[in-house]
Amino acid sequence: MNIESYNAPDSIAEAAQLLQGGNATVVAGGTDLTPQTESGVRQFAATLVNIQRIDEMRGIGVMNGRIRIGGLTTVTDILESKLLADEAPVLVDAADRFASSQIRNASSLAGNLCNASPAGDMCIPLLVLDAEVELACWDGESISTRKVSLERFFTGPGKSVMVAGELMTAIEFPRCANRFVAAFLKSGPRPALEISTVSMGLSCSLTDGVISNVRVAIGAVAPTPLRAKRTEAALEGKVLNEATIQLAVETAGEEVSPIDDVRASAWYRKHLTGVYIRRLLNHVNGS
Amino acid sequence: MSMEVEINFSLNGIATQAHVPPTMTTLAMLREKFDLTGGKLACGEGECGACTVLIDDRTINACLMFAVDCDGREMQTIEGLASASGLAVMQQAFVDHGAIQCGYCMPGMIMQAKYLVEQNSGQQALTRDDIARGLEGNVCRCSGYTKVVDAVAAVVLEENQTGERAS
Amino acid sequence: MSAVIERKTIIGKRVPKPDAPDKATGRTRYINDMVLPRMLIGKILHTDRVHARILSIDTTAAMALPGVHAVLTGEDSPDLRFGPTRDNFPLKSGKVRCIRDEVAAVAAETEEIAQQAIDLIKVEYEDLPPVFTPTEAMRDGAPVVHDDHPDNRSLGYEFSHGDIARAEAESDIVVEHQFEVPYVTHCCMGPSCAIADFDTTGKLTIWSQTQYPYNYKMDLAPALGIHPGDIRVIQPPVGGAFGSKLDVYPFEPICALLAKATRRPVKLTFSREEEFINSPTRQPVEFRIKSGVNRDGTLTFRSVDALLNNGAYTSWGPTTPVIQMRTFTGHYRLPAVEYRAQAYYTNMVYAGSFRGYGNVQATFVTASVMDMLAEEVGMDPIAFRLKNAQNSGEVTPQGSILDDCRLGECIELVAEKTDFLNKHKAYTDQRKQTARIQRGIGIATTIHNAGGAKIHKSDGCGTMLKLDDYARATLITGASEIGQGIDAVLCQIVMEELGIPIRDITIVNDDTALGPWDVGVHASRTTFIAGNSALRAARAARKQVLDAAAKQSNVTADQLDLREGHVVQADNGVPVIRLDKLLRQMHFGDEPELVMVTDYYEPNSVPEDKNHFGNLSSSWAHGAYVAEVEVDTETGEVRVLKMTVVQDVGRVINRLGIEGQIEGGISVSLGYALSEQLQISEGRVMNPNFRDYKVMTAPETPEIELHFIESDCKEGPLGAKGIAEIPAIVPAPAIANAVYNAIGIRFHAPPLTPEKVARALHGAPQQ
Repeated sequence: MNIESYNAPDSIAEAAQLLQGGNATVVAGGTDLTPQTESGVRQFAATLVNIQRIDEMRGIGVMNGRIRIGGLTTVTDILESKLLADEAPVLVDAADRFASSQIRNASSLAGNLCNASPAGDMCIPLLVLDAEVELACWDGESISTRKVSLERFFTGPGKSVMVAGELMTAIEFPRCANRFVAAFLKSGPRPALEISTVSMGLSCSLTDGVISNVRVAIGAVAPTPLRAKRTEAALEGKVLNEATIQLAVETAGEEVSPIDDVRASAWYRKHLTGVYIRRLLNHVNGS
Repeated sequence: MSMEVEINFSLNGIATQAHVPPTMTTLAMLREKFDLTGGKLACGEGECGACTVLIDDRTINACLMFAVDCDGREMQTIEGLASASGLAVMQQAFVDHGAIQCGYCMPGMIMQAKYLVEQNSGQQALTRDDIARGLEGNVCRCSGYTKVVDAVAAVVLEENQTGERAS
Repeated sequence: MSAVIERKTIIGKRVPKPDAPDKATGRTRYINDMVLPRMLIGKILHTDRVHARILSIDTTAAMALPGVHAVLTGEDSPDLRFGPTRDNFPLKSGKVRCIRDEVAAVAAETEEIAQQAIDLIKVEYEDLPPVFTPTEAMRDGAPVVHDDHPDNRSLGYEFSHGDIARAEAESDIVVEHQFEVPYVTHCCMGPSCAIADFDTTGKLTIWSQTQYPYNYKMDLAPALGIHPGDIRVIQPPVGGAFGSKLDVYPFEPICALLAKATRRPVKLTFSREEEFINSPTRQPVEFRIKSGVNRDGTLTFRSVDALLNNGAYTSWGPTTPVIQMRTFTGHYRLPAVEYRAQAYYTNMVYAGSFRGYGNVQATFVTASVMDMLAEEVGMDPIAFRLKNAQNSGEVTPQGSILDDCRLGECIELVAEKTDFLNKHKAYTDQRKQTARIQRGIGIATTIHNAGGAKIHKSDGCGTMLKLDDYARATLITGASEIGQGIDAVLCQIVMEELGIPIRDITIVNDDTALGPWDVGVHASRTTFIAGNSALRAARAARKQVLDAAAKQSNVTADQLDLREGHVVQADNGVPVIRLDKLLRQMHFGDEPELVMVTDYYEPNSVPEDKNHFGNLSSSWAHGAYVAEVEVDTETGEVRVLKMTVVQDVGRVINRLGIEGQIEGGISVSLGYALSEQLQISEGRVMNPNFRDYKVMTAPETPEIELHFIESDCKEGPLGAKGIAEIPAIVPAPAIANAVYNAIGIRFHAPPLTPEKVARALHGAPQQ
């Protein structure tokens, strides 16, 4: 495809207008887009919109009692954020296990979510943080935004509910309640530079040994990053003991639907799912 | 003929203008337009780090970043590290510690090592494990990494002893 | 000139590579960075079939594309054959036999146009039934890969010594095991690249990554239908080689054919994906090994059958039995031993040589089996090995002369340094508990040629050395530099003999029009062979200089020495004359002479006879490596915590270089043990990228502790032996043995991926 126009807007409004009609490719860090276009998995549209100059899409802060992260915020920004280290360490942990230093420096948070990989490492902690994404488009006169729960955002490998002309401007999630615990695990043996064979996040509250408000998210075991609702239900309100953990292991094993690929077999992904849910629950118990 | 975009940026401290196709990568621009061949195209997917450059004081894989996105920014490549008076401290450390065999990955490795040490400046000294983690995105098939970590650790030690930025 | 100059040695010191500063600054122009005036870009259309008849190739649209200068197919050169057994073709005609097959090639003004032209070429195929494994290929009625090999048999080898049947009958214990080692690939950081240019008289200059420039001419010539003498090979700096550039591969003659067709320089480079699919692999092998041992721990016999997947064409992979055999027959004392290997053509990709050449595969088996046999007879791995280790003066069944054998010393020292026996027992006991993390320790040893390997008629190397009027030395050597550091080693030898600083030495070794012959960088031979040649040349130059100085000062030459740019009195270091001044006096004096000497060194090794007997190498060396690991019994992840090395290196010349070679070799072997495997499904490479083909990275690198045994090899230059393959051979089985120690499970097929280990631990069948 010949590129007919290239634009580097510096506001969301300008970008949204450029994206109107949908025949445009959004360019940010390039860490997913470049290999996809080079290999032919994806083609450039006639219009390129480089959103890297939109400063209002960067930054990490608190807004209306919620944590708000601009879509262009890099994984490194997340890793280095004092606010997130205090408020959402699970997201920082996941950032630490994300690719390599160079890729963390370039990758935007929104880019990782928009790529909608079943193994996307930032999807998992954000799912357990009950995040929403903000999608903006131009309605002809002004910016129109909608918020979509991340849980409902992904629809398939590389697919989401975003429609042509939309831009993911921010990610938000509630500030943590007391006794909130969250943790993230990712398969190795490399610390970070791996496409996860399995990744898993878990958040919950633990009061007097009873686990509640449970959220479990699992990467690379289903066509989308998975919110493991049945596993959550199996845990909700239970005393966190070995019987509960065993039930969670069994439920999670039944809930995932992994595939065989070059990285691992379905058997191993199921096996790791059991190992990780047990580890995360043991971690919760110990904390 | 596809379109080209004019960009203006600082390249190794020099105000620079280029006209680049909008889908050209930064690495292709450096190699083809500026003959800066220190950074290598070894995978083209951000998996090996051989093309690592500094942009606005952060390292990136130049094979993934679009050249148009250099507009208005400051870039340093391996060619910008040494001065007329000799090698930069990190370069000299790589030479002295025998980190360099075929050397193909080394421009990228050295840029990442320099970034790692500078990022950490003023904080608790990097351990060998920290250094290895910081270089996880740079593949080397010759050295086995031990001498690379030796070199970076020596720079860290020197910096700690002198209390100055050495890299 | 009054200050006394002490004699200082540079041998054994830490000497940075002379090319390192340029490499550290990005100044070095690798072949991949080169651009020539009027240079065209070449590209290859690889087939998308694994076995198919080519019905037609339509290149019309590609030819018509502006900017395209040539489109070639196999029909343009159907008679050109090359390869060690002449079964390969630059461009294929008639049929394709594997996923690599080159069906067409273009030369165009730019990369983009070349790619567009490739995309415009239409090929029609009729698929043929494929064959993927040697077991399938040997069956009656199997699909035939090459019509002139109707039984699909490629190379075969057989060796026998002693009475196996009797040894087996008399052995207390006889056990049989099977092993399978995988396809792995070199992953040179610089992708394959060639630049070719013909002059008006039909002579070819090829800028090549080759690591054997002189025989390369001989091997490239038949692929082009030209005389080898009409080929000049220039070797710009390369991004790694590791054995992958010891043969001619189709992209090189294709590049040259495009240059011939266009009469312009043509550059052809692989993408990383092309590199993973099309560059040679290490030879995969299926082994059956039967071993006998008596209750007292004495080995009685070893019988090995090796089945090799030849792939579609023959490069060096199917010749690795030559070295496999040396280890199977010669590593530990064996009264009776036999080895058979047979390669079968299939529709798979094909293997070349890869650092460790055959011994990687063999040692994975022997080192695993030694531990299994020790357990059979109830001995510890150290005592069992010591019981069967040869002593100095023994000769192996194939005639490898172990004149100064340090195997036992290696084993004893590495056991002592690692507290092996205590740890091994403690970890064995800990297996009874079911901790999440289990630790293990394991040893592996090997023997390898350390004084070259006479697999060609000659294993020699030539050197030309000159000193100019300013006492600057130029050493022109046949030995190639591929990053391994022969440049530093040769400089040290010149420094040691001539007393001049490293900055004043220039090594020239990048042009076959200048350099004298050498067989190539392989077989751990370069320090030994090129080092000996350089040493002899340097000593000849030294003699010429000292003779001249002696004549001037009325003393004998042995009363003088060369130190720090001066001729000095040998006994007290008092300077006599500056070397540059002396050289000018020699040059411009009454009897003018220049210092320019040559040497051709041929080691005293002999080629094997037809029964595979003969002392193939001037020297042999042993190494004993110990791995300490941690196994996560839930996820199956194996972490190597430490690798302790004891190796007979003869003598350390460049301590920095020898450490770097060993550390780098370990890294490659760690990948072989734990993560690397080219996954090939029905002939197609499924993981042609660094995401899914996992080489070691910095955080996975263990602590490494090195101990050198300096045995002072009498044939070696200043006592040195070749060293750089043992580290790529021994770590993998040491890790497998350590994993066994940790969890009690024996793995017969590397790599020990987390999934493979988890399956074994959790009762799931292996895939």
